[in-house]
Amino acid sequence: MTGPLRGAGPRGRALERDLSALLGSGAASCSPADLWATSRDCWPRALLWTKASVAPHPPDVVAWPASTAEVAQVVRYAAERQVAVVPFGAGSGVCGGTVPVKGGIALDLKRLSGPPALDLPARTVDVEAGTNGQRLEELLGGAGATVGHFPSSIYCSTVGGWLAARSAGQLSSRYGKIEDMVLAIEAVDGTGEVLRTQDAPAAGPDLVQLLVGSEGTLGVITKARLRCWPAPSSRWMRGLRFRSVEAGVLGLRALMRSGLRPAVARLYDPLDTLLAGRGGGEARAAVPEPLRWIADGAQTEALRLALRAPALLNRLVDALPSASLLVLGFEGDGPFGEADAREDGELALRLLDGEGAEDLGSAPGEKWLANRYRISYRQSPLFSAGAFVDTMDVATTWDRLGVLYHSVREAVAEHAFVMAHFSHAYLEGCSIYFTFVGLAGAPAGASDADDLEAAEARYDACWNAALSAACDAGATLSHHHGVGLHKQVFLAREHGEGMRQLRALKQAFDPRGILNPGKLLL
Amino acid sequence: MNALRDDLATTASAVVAEGGGLRVTPPSVAALGRVVAVLRAHRAPVRVRGNGDAPVEPPAGGALLELVALDRIASLDAATGIARVEAGCSVAALETAARRSVATLGPLLPSVRAGSVGAWLAGPTRGERAIPGARRETAALSVAAVLADGHLAESRAAPRSATGPDLDHLALGGSGRLCVIATAWIRLFPAAPPAYAAWKMPDLPAAVSAVARLCADRLAPARGTLRRQEGGALLALSWEGPESARLVSQRAARALGDPLPVDAGPEVRAPPSAQGLEVDARWAALEEFARRPDSAEMALYGMHAGGAFAVLSLASEGVEQCAAAARSIGASVVAPRRLREVASPWTEMGAGGIWRRLVTALGAEEAA
Repeated sequence: MTGPLRGAGPRGRALERDLSALLGSGAASCSPADLWATSRDCWPRALLWTKASVAPHPPDVVAWPASTAEVAQVVRYAAERQVAVVPFGAGSGVCGGTVPVKGGIALDLKRLSGPPALDLPARTVDVEAGTNGQRLEELLGGAGATVGHFPSSIYCSTVGGWLAARSAGQLSSRYGKIEDMVLAIEAVDGTGEVLRTQDAPAAGPDLVQLLVGSEGTLGVITKARLRCWPAPSSRWMRGLRFRSVEAGVLGLRALMRSGLRPAVARLYDPLDTLLAGRGGGEARAAVPEPLRWIADGAQTEALRLALRAPALLNRLVDALPSASLLVLGFEGDGPFGEADAREDGELALRLLDGEGAEDLGSAPGEKWLANRYRISYRQSPLFSAGAFVDTMDVATTWDRLGVLYHSVREAVAEHAFVMAHFSHAYLEGCSIYFTFVGLAGAPAGASDADDLEAAEARYDACWNAALSAACDAGATLSHHHGVGLHKQVFLAREHGEGMRQLRALKQAFDPRGILNPGKLLL
Repeated sequence: MNALRDDLATTASAVVAEGGGLRVTPPSVAALGRVVAVLRAHRAPVRVRGNGDAPVEPPAGGALLELVALDRIASLDAATGIARVEAGCSVAALETAARRSVATLGPLLPSVRAGSVGAWLAGPTRGERAIPGARRETAALSVAAVLADGHLAESRAAPRSATGPDLDHLALGGSGRLCVIATAWIRLFPAAPPAYAAWKMPDLPAAVSAVARLCADRLAPARGTLRRQEGGALLALSWEGPESARLVSQRAARALGDPLPVDAGPEVRAPPSAQGLEVDARWAALEEFARRPDSAEMALYGMHAGGAFAVLSLASEGVEQCAAAARSIGASVVAPRRLREVASPWTEMGAGGIWRRLVTALGAEEAA
């Protein structure tokens, strides 16, 4: 459909009537604004839809249950009538995971946001799925605790969304990804049964790890117990310069295999290093003009002109100085927090000195810390100018990381301008976070259905090239963004025969196939 | 049984009748796939055994899958910390190979170290061990598992991913019920001399409490020995990590006070009681167990902020009584195998129906 979103049809109005009777007045709506709000998430392709005033996949109705029991009621109601149910948190996903491609009920879980139950001596917190991430950290911070999960979407994401998509925070090297933090889950399966896993040793396969990452296709997560820790009392931040990205990767690997646990370890490729002025001294001045237009979200015409020749832009990058910046940070808590963080940091400096790193002092690290959430909110000018911006989070083992980095860059070079950083490092490997900036189409206000079609074709070509290269390099398609609508075309290449296992899980958890249908190829 | 035997003869595997069942030894992963497909088609019960695992009889009317020929270590790279290994390989053989490359699997429960890689991953510990930061994770970076139809499902060897549910967890901890592990990518730590320290504690519960506190403060040891002794209890701990061991042990000393002026290495390295019961337990349960007057010694592995693997023993009771006592406080038995919980998985979580549908959907049978 094109044009402004239409109001609900008869099916939507009937669902609204029934769900209001089930949940109470005001707990369901099929107003155009509510339908539009839950018809998309922050998938950049959905931003292209918005720019073109298009909402291709609205739900029939939005429902706001206030308890696990109400979620179960809605699911049972939907299962009886074979109506799709799409769990919705805050809509911060970037892969279209909550786009209701089969219509049905958008199950907005934000009312499941009661106060978290903190047990700091036991290092646990029980929290409802609709709880906003930043709100959770504020509440825990008031009690001297933290979960340590800080995704760049923290202001606009929920605990349930983190779990459903296997989210990662910026401090994952210290605290782990969300699947490392979750101890137990309460969820409603596709038959409306409530299951509660135990925070205790139990026999059999780990049910939690089968639900986490299921993107609403196996169950609606309503509550979780997460590991929490005393809030840090001190941070030690640093920037280190390596002569090349390859040298930086070797340094990062040595650091992670040393047994030290940095809170922050992010290695920027040469361009990302220069654009953000992180290379020290006059680094930013060395960036050629067309590349700065992109970084600054420059004037529309200049930007569009530059993006018409992405291969040229990427070749310009190859001529830049090759230094790569590592942003490194350690945390300490308790009365010795400051001394501990400094001691860890200085030990890491000695280790990385042996790997050829140059210490740039604390400024690059402090700068990163101060600006760490801003990048997510700086993309609108580029979309308005007729560009698309997107990010790809892939991961692999240390031995394949270099091949992955170069092969994706090469594959995307013809389609978009590309830069990357290496973050979320582990003992065995690391993720690479690529940023693509490509020409989408007309500027905002001039985009129509034809322009959208062309923009989507360019966007798809870029992504197909990138994901195909990542697959060929042996990487996983997603480290923490999830799959959604976006990456599922490549899911069979990722899982191979494992798709049989995935389909079996669907039959077991959701025999009627009503939970977020059309996702994960289910 | 004859029809089953005839069909198994087509799989290029050695088939021997034994008791009321068959002992089947596939020579390769491909043959294992064919064997599993035949067994599932006949709805025959299956047991799995690799190198180092305790001898076991074939189930009546079914087969014992002997994976002893699947013992290859296909690759081992200490620099990147990964080994690719077949499921029948013994954990001890893998550790020996890792040590030759200055790498290690880290401290493991005695029953795990004595058994096969497949048994470790499919068993109740799910291949988990402690990692820095007072957390636990499975040692399996990736698993290749044979499905009921004989196809091999293999996940990508990546440190973490977000491509749906973690399908490896259909194999990990599954005791071969849903699929049979054929090969795995195993994570290795760099090998380095541990740091050791020992303290005298007022009593055994205080020693458990002290370790729990260290874990809550991210100072988790790699291994521990806690022993009641005259006038109190001995707490001996080790830490591993090339750069971090010394640092963390010093912080532990800051928290617990000056350690004893002794070499704690022999105490920590001493094997726990051969009659011990291996459990996975939370700290509160271990502390409660330590309060028993006949609880004399405890060996700890896989310590994390929530609990640990422990080898427990009671001075005046056998392992069966020890298991009953451990269960009563919420511990889960890891070994001996005969004392493990046999309840259907997930039932207590309200997911018994999901388990039954999953078994059906995967074409799997309950293991014998």
